[in-house]
Amino acid sequence: MMENPPALALQDLSKRFGRIQAVDHLSLEVEPGQMAGFLGPNGAGKSTTLYMIPRLVRPSGGRLRIFGVDIWKDYKKAIRSVGITVESPAFYEYLSGRKNLELAARLRDEVSPREIDEILQRIGLAERQHDRVRVYSTGMKQRLGVGRAMLGRPRLLILDEPTNGMDPEGTHEVLSFLRQQVRQAGLTVFVSSHLMSEVEEFCDTVFVINRGRLVASGRVKELLKPHERIVRVTFQGRIPDADFLSRHQQIRKAESVTADTLEITLERDDSAWLNQCLQQAGFRVSALAPKQKTLKEFFLSITGPRRAEGPPSINQPPSAPAGPETPPGQTPATPGGDQSHV
Amino acid sequence: MSSQLAPLVRNEVAKAARRKLPYFGIFAVGLLCVIIYFVGGQLNSTATANAWGYVGFSMQMVFTDLGPIFIIVFAAMLVAEETGTGTIRAALAAPVHRWELYLAKAVTGLFYMMVLSAAALLFSAALAVIHYHFGAVGDSLGVVYSRKQALQELAVGYALSWIPLGALVMYGLLISTLIRSPGAAVAAGISTLFLIDFTKHLVGLDPYIFTRYITYPWLNLLQIAQGMDYQWRPEVWRMMTLCGVSAFVTFSAGLILFVREDLNH
Repeated sequence: MMENPPALALQDLSKRFGRIQAVDHLSLEVEPGQMAGFLGPNGAGKSTTLYMIPRLVRPSGGRLRIFGVDIWKDYKKAIRSVGITVESPAFYEYLSGRKNLELAARLRDEVSPREIDEILQRIGLAERQHDRVRVYSTGMKQRLGVGRAMLGRPRLLILDEPTNGMDPEGTHEVLSFLRQQVRQAGLTVFVSSHLMSEVEEFCDTVFVINRGRLVASGRVKELLKPHERIVRVTFQGRIPDADFLSRHQQIRKAESVTADTLEITLERDDSAWLNQCLQQAGFRVSALAPKQKTLKEFFLSITGPRRAEGPPSINQPPSAPAGPETPPGQTPATPGGDQSHV
Repeated sequence: MSSQLAPLVRNEVAKAARRKLPYFGIFAVGLLCVIIYFVGGQLNSTATANAWGYVGFSMQMVFTDLGPIFIIVFAAMLVAEETGTGTIRAALAAPVHRWELYLAKAVTGLFYMMVLSAAALLFSAALAVIHYHFGAVGDSLGVVYSRKQALQELAVGYALSWIPLGALVMYGLLISTLIRSPGAAVAAGISTLFLIDFTKHLVGLDPYIFTRYITYPWLNLLQIAQGMDYQWRPEVWRMMTLCGVSAFVTFSAGLILFVREDLNH
């Protein structure tokens, strides 16, 4: 066994439901002590992948290790270090929030009533702990789901859309708490989410899947490196007209963002040349900066338009992982499912 | 690593204790016992000649229909309710093997069957002592069965009654595994139980269906109560074999399905 094995390692993991290949030779590794985002459009295979971790779904092929332990060889040992919620957390609605945690705690070693108290405090449900789950809001159930996953002090937390139904304040609180646990307690968090801003703000690394395959992965900072070829220029006074711009072959296109700002796409990374060119032509440039990419833009550039949604059909080749917008240094995977990391 | 069976059973019992259905089952059985008490004498005066006969008659009536219905409803909901609501995912995301959870559910089903059976026996016995005496059984020639003998046979009959009822629990659990909606599982459990009972004579399958033995031990007790000759063997061996095989087959089939199925919806 490796000395410092990945917290979660999927190797050629596949799952086929009849004619549908839900997960297609997916390989990824989540390093310990990181908060990793797991992104993909609807039907990309995220939930199926997460379902395979606690063996709720049997893989058609591949291996799955948690801290180096193969879940099909020693499930109990592997899963003891994991707290997991898959899809919206379900509870015994006729029981109180606390009783639900107590039932879950009974199946994990060394969970004291005090630990349950602490968790209820952390997730903000201490005052409502004796209410039946039936009367909880969706957000409260989500928080209880996170609390249940944290029972027994797991080293790896796997959460599927943990902030669904939460208000912005609750979302921020929960994710900040998880982030704090990652920093201070060395917890590893693997979180799937539709909310790009959440992932962008809180995650260290991100894995993007589409049609069951990994199409990109890497550190968020690297993935969101500014576009060097797309430059936002803010002018004081007059702005360049189409005639001026068309005279320069280095300028591929220019779009107006506001009355005084243009987004100019260059043929190559040379914003210094653009600045000089504009100055020489008498334009007063008040600001010039490479365009900052958002995770949402990156995600869309990787997964493509909505046609990417839905289960893939057999023999249909995967969509091109990245279009011409994909900046160099970012990590679109090859269509064969192999992927390079940043 | 140690088995999680004990905490799983505790969890299952704790959950069941917070539901209304188990209590309603006990209440319904009690109510039926009271109804039997008021109409029993008119229905079968020979069977209710003494307390032993009354208990045998009352138990036979309870477990002809109502008792098995509550047992199968309880068993049919054990897995289906959790797969229907999604709580099974949380239960299996713990360090628990699927077979352990299935076994815990089977044990809980058996436990409820025993509780319901004990409640029926207690209600029946309590009502019996209002009019009858648990004394020796005799005829004009004297004592046929002493009080101790009759009590022993009651205990044996009561214990034997768990065997076909246990097979019924396993059948309900299989239905619960096959059908993921609790309502549909309950409906399927009850309807197939009745369908089998109504048609087994017509198609000549009666000797091979375990449900024929659900009231068998109490019929024997009725014979004892009337001072008639009785013998458990060899019929009891046939009962144990048929019910044992049925329980084993249904339990194994349910377990294999439960362990192998994908629980992603």
